[in-house]
Amino acid sequence: MALAPLDDEIAISELISNPYPIYKRLRAQTPVLRVKSIGRTFITKAADTRPIKDNPELFSSNDPNTPMQRAFNAHTLMRKDGEDHMAERKAMMPTFSPTNLKTVWSPAYEKLAHEYLDRLPRNEVIDLFPMLAGPLSASILSIILGMPDATDDDMQFWSQALIDGAGNFAWADEPFERVDRAHIAMDTYIAKQAEILKAEPDQSALSVMVNAENPIAYSQIVSNLKIAIGGGINEPRDCMLTILYGLLTNIDQLEELKTSGNWSAAFEEGVRWVAPIQVSSRLVMQDTTIRGFDIPKGDVVMTIQASANHDEELFEDGDKFNALRKRTPHQSFGSGPHHCMGTHLARLTIGKLLLPLIFERFPNMEIVEPENVKWWGFGFRGPLNLNVRLN
Amino acid sequence: MTEVIFVSANGEKTTVEANAGDTVMQTALAANISDIIAECGGAMMCATCHVYVDDDWLERVGKADEDELTMLDFASSEVKPTSRLSCQIKVDDENSGMIIHLPDSQL
Ligand code: HEM
Ligand code: FES
Repeated sequence: MALAPLDDEIAISELISNPYPIYKRLRAQTPVLRVKSIGRTFITKAADTRPIKDNPELFSSNDPNTPMQRAFNAHTLMRKDGEDHMAERKAMMPTFSPTNLKTVWSPAYEKLAHEYLDRLPRNEVIDLFPMLAGPLSASILSIILGMPDATDDDMQFWSQALIDGAGNFAWADEPFERVDRAHIAMDTYIAKQAEILKAEPDQSALSVMVNAENPIAYSQIVSNLKIAIGGGINEPRDCMLTILYGLLTNIDQLEELKTSGNWSAAFEEGVRWVAPIQVSSRLVMQDTTIRGFDIPKGDVVMTIQASANHDEELFEDGDKFNALRKRTPHQSFGSGPHHCMGTHLARLTIGKLLLPLIFERFPNMEIVEPENVKWWGFGFRGPLNLNVRLN
Repeated sequence: MTEVIFVSANGEKTTVEANAGDTVMQTALAANISDIIAECGGAMMCATCHVYVDDDWLERVGKADEDELTMLDFASSEVKPTSRLSCQIKVDDENSGMIIHLPDSQL
């Protein structure tokens, strides 16, 4: 057979500003496509993306040629397979147990959400990105990870530095210098905090990892925390804003949810509609084929869950936000061994706690100039602003 | 030929042909049994493939081991002594015809 077709027209800038029309075209015409500007083979159909992530022997997460290792100063669990991956993932798992979610993190989140909502002024135009979504997402994460003294600004700066470094495919100096500065601050604080939590253990991730019977190496404990910092703020933030945008621009749906109370449906629809993590890469370990095209060993396939979530074979009018649509599983939390560890946490905090709370508090919240909401991002995607008036 | 009988929460029965060696989860997905979601694709990371093994079949199918029980904690429907993650049950000649009850929700 032949290699997949090669595209030399799709520009990174187009993907960043709005990838969805491109994905729609690719799903219809070239669902397996080598994209020159990204240097990856795009896989855009839902039926193809998921089996790739479910088969780590053939499609490995261990891709050494990404800037992630440099940015994290470490080989992290997200880029490992098999036993090593499991050991590191399991070390953090007790923190996210259902009992902890219900009895520890749920009350903590509710308290925080009230505090942040209390601070929002009424009857003026405010941007919910910096006023609510960013800081609230940072704040709960600092508590769950066992880093409660880190300020929301620290957490957001560290998170962004890690993300920008890991996404620095141009290998520019600035993002790496910035993340190196962040490492110094994080490492100092984590080391101090680890001693405190050894004396007074709790259910936080740092505590659970340092106090385990057979702890993983300290360096891995630290990089696990950094993965969670890099991957635990922007997705809840972005999906919170996406869901609010969807509901506030579809008032009929919002009214129906106020009656039914089925806020979880709005959560699932928001993360489906604009997946906070749009793409995931996997390294091909053996020559194989996808849809009849040769995929050689050493190639890197990019599974585009953002596209899978709009696939015409699964979703009618997938480009529209519809919180009342028939429930069909999406791929926004990934699949396979790397399936998101924060899935249940995000479902609970945003879908079950925050959404009902915010509309109970501000039932007549209005979006201001929705046409000025700026959406941005190729790897990660969400609104950069969301102006509303609360009353 | 091996088969699995799925019974939904409201009592609807579906008999599905299964490839020996496939898991019950894979068998359900292939047959479009939508009460099994299996978000993590069988990596024992999600608990959205939760099922109840029929009492009469439990001995032959086996109970969940410790790792599986830890993950079952995440299941959204009540966890019972017959609870299993269907991605951890392989279909074979021995257990062909097993009756699998589906929970009323996975999320
Ligand atoms: C709506 C919110 C979220 C979305 C959509 C999301 C999405 C994802 C996706 C797609 C992956 C898989 C990446 C891959 O396969 O390469 C992932 C992994 C991960 N997520 Fe999330 N995430 C969210 C929230 C969170 C939160 C709040 C945490 C908190 C700690 C978190 C922690 C993690 C971790 C640790 C991994 C790596 C798991 C592994 O490699 O085994 N996520 N997430
Ligand atoms: S499919 Fe996720 S645990 Fe079975």
